[in-house]
Amino acid sequence: MSKKKTRIKLELKRRDFLAVGGVAAGSVVAAQLLTTGPLSPFASFKQEQVEGIEEVAPRHTGHHWGMVINLNKCIGCEYCTRACSATNDVWVGLPDEDQALGKERLNKPWNIVVEEKTSTGTPFYFSRPCLHCGDAPCVEVCPVQATYHRDDGLVVMNYDKCIGCRYCQIACPYDARKFNWQERTDENPYIPTWGIAEVPRRPRGVVEKCTFCIHRIDAGLQAGLMPGEDPEASPACVNICPVGARIFGDLNDPESKISRTIAVEATMRLRDELGTETSVYYVIPKEGL
Amino acid sequence: MASQTLSRRHFYLSPAVLAWIGLIGILILIGLISAVLVFWNGLYITRMSDPVPWGLWITIDLSAIALGAGAFTLSAVVYLFRLKRFQPLVRLAVFIGFIGYTTALLTLIMDIGRPDRFWHPWVYWNIHSVLWEITWCITIYLAIMLVEFAPVIAESRFFRNYAWAAKVAKFLHHLAPLLALLGLGISLLHQSSLGATYGIVKSRPFWFKPSMPIMFILSAVAVGPSLTMAITYIIEWVTGKKSVPNDILRAIARFSGFALLIYGYIRFWDLAAVTYYGRTPSVSEAFSLLNQQTPYNFSFWIFEILLGVVLPAILFLTPRFNRNPGYLVIGAIFAVIGVVINRWNVTVGGLFVPISYSPGVLYELEPTKYFPGLPEWGVAIGVIGYGLALLTLGARYLPLFSNGEHS
Repeated sequence: MSKKKTRIKLELKRRDFLAVGGVAAGSVVAAQLLTTGPLSPFASFKQEQVEGIEEVAPRHTGHHWGMVINLNKCIGCEYCTRACSATNDVWVGLPDEDQALGKERLNKPWNIVVEEKTSTGTPFYFSRPCLHCGDAPCVEVCPVQATYHRDDGLVVMNYDKCIGCRYCQIACPYDARKFNWQERTDENPYIPTWGIAEVPRRPRGVVEKCTFCIHRIDAGLQAGLMPGEDPEASPACVNICPVGARIFGDLNDPESKISRTIAVEATMRLRDELGTETSVYYVIPKEGL
Repeated sequence: MASQTLSRRHFYLSPAVLAWIGLIGILILIGLISAVLVFWNGLYITRMSDPVPWGLWITIDLSAIALGAGAFTLSAVVYLFRLKRFQPLVRLAVFIGFIGYTTALLTLIMDIGRPDRFWHPWVYWNIHSVLWEITWCITIYLAIMLVEFAPVIAESRFFRNYAWAAKVAKFLHHLAPLLALLGLGISLLHQSSLGATYGIVKSRPFWFKPSMPIMFILSAVAVGPSLTMAITYIIEWVTGKKSVPNDILRAIARFSGFALLIYGYIRFWDLAAVTYYGRTPSVSEAFSLLNQQTPYNFSFWIFEILLGVVLPAILFLTPRFNRNPGYLVIGAIFAVIGVVINRWNVTVGGLFVPISYSPGVLYELEPTKYFPGLPEWGVAIGVIGYGLALLTLGARYLPLFSNGEHS
């Protein structure tokens, strides 16, 4: 045993030193090849990630859809909630049934409107769709890539991939996601008064979310319309608003109405300290928050 | 051989055994009825809701996997650190680990909205997702445990007449150190990633901290082996056969005791750093909400710390108590309760703090409410029945305590 030990000691001087040096140099090369080089199994993912980061910065190629919600104008009529629930056939829920099961706010819609107060006590109305984060926690945590970023800045879902683990609900900083706890057999009370269903109902057991009405955006662009300017290509909540509190459009186009509004009004983004880079901006109440 | 047959008959005829089998049957029946109800009606009949989308079942997943940590710890101790005297315990530890992980998977299948798509994480990869990594680690580790455990099944009396089974068993037994190494790596990864599942969620101030993965792995390594120790004693009492020397079991208890002290120590400084030295407005708000309007504070100090860490550490470490197996088993039971309550407090505590994103109601929201409903308890009872059934069958039919070195 002792003989062996001394031999190791002697050899450490030259041969092992060379071997260790060679292994170290080799692993540096291998690490390069495997992480950023051509052998990397993550090369494709990295590319997506890089594109995702670029998404955050204003790009001058392509669109980046965003929304401005003017808290000065909103009167709390909840028309946006109703039009959204009709157009996207969102379940608006039965409070009595929820209470019987001992649950809270089980079937909240995609779009919510609540009354709030500024620090000086002035009431204002606050509404919230999905904020379509540039760096979205829900996209990161999804184990099956059911939620993903589109090139135009929207965060959307593939309902055929979702396994219903609800991790995105846990991770969303804005409480913007909704789970389908049961099979839909209800009659939507907002159809046809507030609109007709333009997308199919989502199945039981998947999470769903606001899409900024992508079906209208995509079809509108194909028909040569401009989302944010032509109502046929704009989200239902924007069209229905009786006071024009919601502005929709291309954040990448400096001449769009939304970009000009952001340039002149005092705006804020929700929980900006988390680095989520939301695509929704709020015009804050005149007397401050 | 004859005596074994005799003892088997005796085993079945005893009224206590009949009562035990009846109890397990009832537990599993309750679980099956609840599972059918949930699959039929959807998760609507549970008490989970959009504000609290995770509840009792996730607590069971996390606890069962933490309690299965004895498998990788003892495998590593025996096959990597070469402490051969612990070998008689490895098989039982791996068996308990297998029960724990399959329990977690069964509960998870209940919990996801689309059980028919359970295979999606294997096909649609999102390498950025902690949950994706955990799914892969748990799958791989379950396979490792099956291979580790295969020799035990091959040595059981069902395969006694097949020569090839013995050969396979011998071959697999030689792989043990490699499997232990793989198991150690994979387990260290996913046991801590389960903590990271919460630790990375930046939207929830109660969870978002770098210590979460460390807390999870430390508590798992501390409590997992003590459960193996306790179950060994209980099997010995029931069968009346002494299989593992007392000093080895006491050594396990002492290891768990020290690990619990280390866990408690780091937990203390973690708490101090989060709530006292490095507090942020949102974290302070979350803690004051939990302390004032929920039983979190009581549950944390009494169940998690006093009964879950301090009491077992005293029972495991002081010579007055740790010479008596009864105290060791009681200590292990309290440690297990402590880790389960910890996972519950982490999951539900984090979700009770409402998400505060709107400037007009910042820090003014009520805590959300959740208490598991009947179907959730039913499934929980069912998986406990499943675990007990597997343990009983294993203790009866498998050579759990032989060291596999007789050939």
